[in-house]
Amino acid sequence: MEELGKVHQLIIPLFGRDLTFNLDVILMTWIVITVLILFGFFSSRKKSLLPGPLQVLGELLVSQLYNLTEDAMDKEKAEKYGPLVCALFMFLLCSNWIGMIPHLHEPTKDLNTPLSLGIMGFCIAHYAGIKSKGLKKYAKEYCEPIFFMMPLNVIGELAKVVSISFRLFGNIMGGAIIILVVSYLTYSVIIPPFLNAFFGIFVGAIQAFVFTMLTVVYISVQVK
Amino acid sequence: MDFDIQTWISVAAFMGGALAMGLGAIGAAIGEGYTAAQANAAVSRNPGISGDILKSMLVGQAIAESASIFALVVAMILLFTSFTSQSYVTACVMLSSGLCMGFGAIGSGVGSGFPAGAACMGMARQPAMSGRLTTNMLIGSAVCQTPSIFALVTSFILLFTDFSARAVSPTWAAVLGAGFASGLGAVGSGLGGGLVAESGCKGIARQPLSATPVTNVMLLGQAVTQTTAIYGLLIGFILMFKSFPATDSIAPPMALLGAGLCMGIGAIGPGIGEGFTARSAVKWIARNEGATADLTRLMLVGQAVAESTGIYSLVIALILIFVA
Repeated sequence: MEELGKVHQLIIPLFGRDLTFNLDVILMTWIVITVLILFGFFSSRKKSLLPGPLQVLGELLVSQLYNLTEDAMDKEKAEKYGPLVCALFMFLLCSNWIGMIPHLHEPTKDLNTPLSLGIMGFCIAHYAGIKSKGLKKYAKEYCEPIFFMMPLNVIGELAKVVSISFRLFGNIMGGAIIILVVSYLTYSVIIPPFLNAFFGIFVGAIQAFVFTMLTVVYISVQVK
Repeated sequence: MDFDIQTWISVAAFMGGALAMGLGAIGAAIGEGYTAAQANAAVSRNPGISGDILKSMLVGQAIAESASIFALVVAMILLFTSFTSQSYVTACVMLSSGLCMGFGAIGSGVGSGFPAGAACMGMARQPAMSGRLTTNMLIGSAVCQTPSIFALVTSFILLFTDFSARAVSPTWAAVLGAGFASGLGAVGSGLGGGLVAESGCKGIARQPLSATPVTNVMLLGQAVTQTTAIYGLLIGFILMFKSFPATDSIAPPMALLGAGLCMGIGAIGPGIGEGFTARSAVKWIARNEGATADLTRLMLVGQAVAESTGIYSLVIALILIFVA
């Protein structure tokens, strides 16, 4: 049970402030990145008309996610944001599933990972919005329906970042806590594999998809 | 009679455990009953596949039950773990943890029953789609459980964080407020998410060809429906992890308790309302697939407006925490 609050930290003092690095999360993120790079390399190394298993998997993921992006935006925009969407989904999926391997933890279990991805999506969406609509029209949208609603509209936009990142964090963290506590209560007999299947594979995949889709929608709302 | 701190902590743990399980039992039972009722109707409609319907009913009920199983786990921990502490805050933490999980399980339990019932009815209507209906039901119910998972996270963090070093006076109210914010906040979103998933299952049974957009928009609608529960979780986190200066006055503790109540109660309505919006959007996408993009846009805008009252609650809660 002590594992609940344990965090490996590296604290570097810099200009009178302490920079705290969460070593566990950084290491796990690197593992995820390595897995994805290797997957990208091996799935596209021997491209052929009769694809191997890895190529099939890669093509399936990419084409499905492209279709999803194209449904939400027009074709030109989908070409531009498609790679981002694919990368985001694969990263999240891999991150959420990595916790099923013993001694590895989901990087998304730490609020910093979902929050930074959420902020990234927010910045991209608003940059795209300003670029496609122009600053004036973009700023005007905040004054809808009346100008004094502006502070609430701004809070509403910022709250999107909070909601998208806390949704992912809460689900993954909740799953991890449930698995830990129930394994502890049942002495790891019989039940944990099923919990891992549900919270790890199933909820992890759904939440990765939800996060990706919300990012797509936030971008598409801004560019239209 | 003189009570020492340890007695108070035991009293609070027992009360918390009782409330967790008592409140937590409400929702799942209603949801499961609804599922079984729909399954009865489904079997009467199409007796030939009663075996499939029974299976689907049991799976759906099992997922609806998980909210109350979370409550059971929390209640067990409260009853059987001995907490030793020298601070009255711990007593409040026990009570708050139980309340949080108890309230949090209500909405998700009721909500998860809806898609399961709709999936049973859908199978009777469209037996060829049972595989897809089951998948959709599982996805919908699992997302429905999310608010109760949020409540569980808050409840466990309350239980396993050491609050005894903090100043008693505002902290007792902060931990109680965190429980209310996260627990009550989950009620509306759980229920609303269930409404969306129900209409997703109905839609697939009605028009199997529209299964993909229906599932996608259903997920999106459910995710947005949960937003207010996430605000509740956020306020809960702030109340738990911000350290407040010690005070003798009764005003600051009440501000913190008020912040929790404000966010918790304020999140109920938007959760259900956004659920109605998304339910209707999913329902009409199944009938008019060509208009998916427009319906989705209208749904998101409508949900954003329905959510504005939740944002008012969030703003007031933040003002209570940081200004008052």
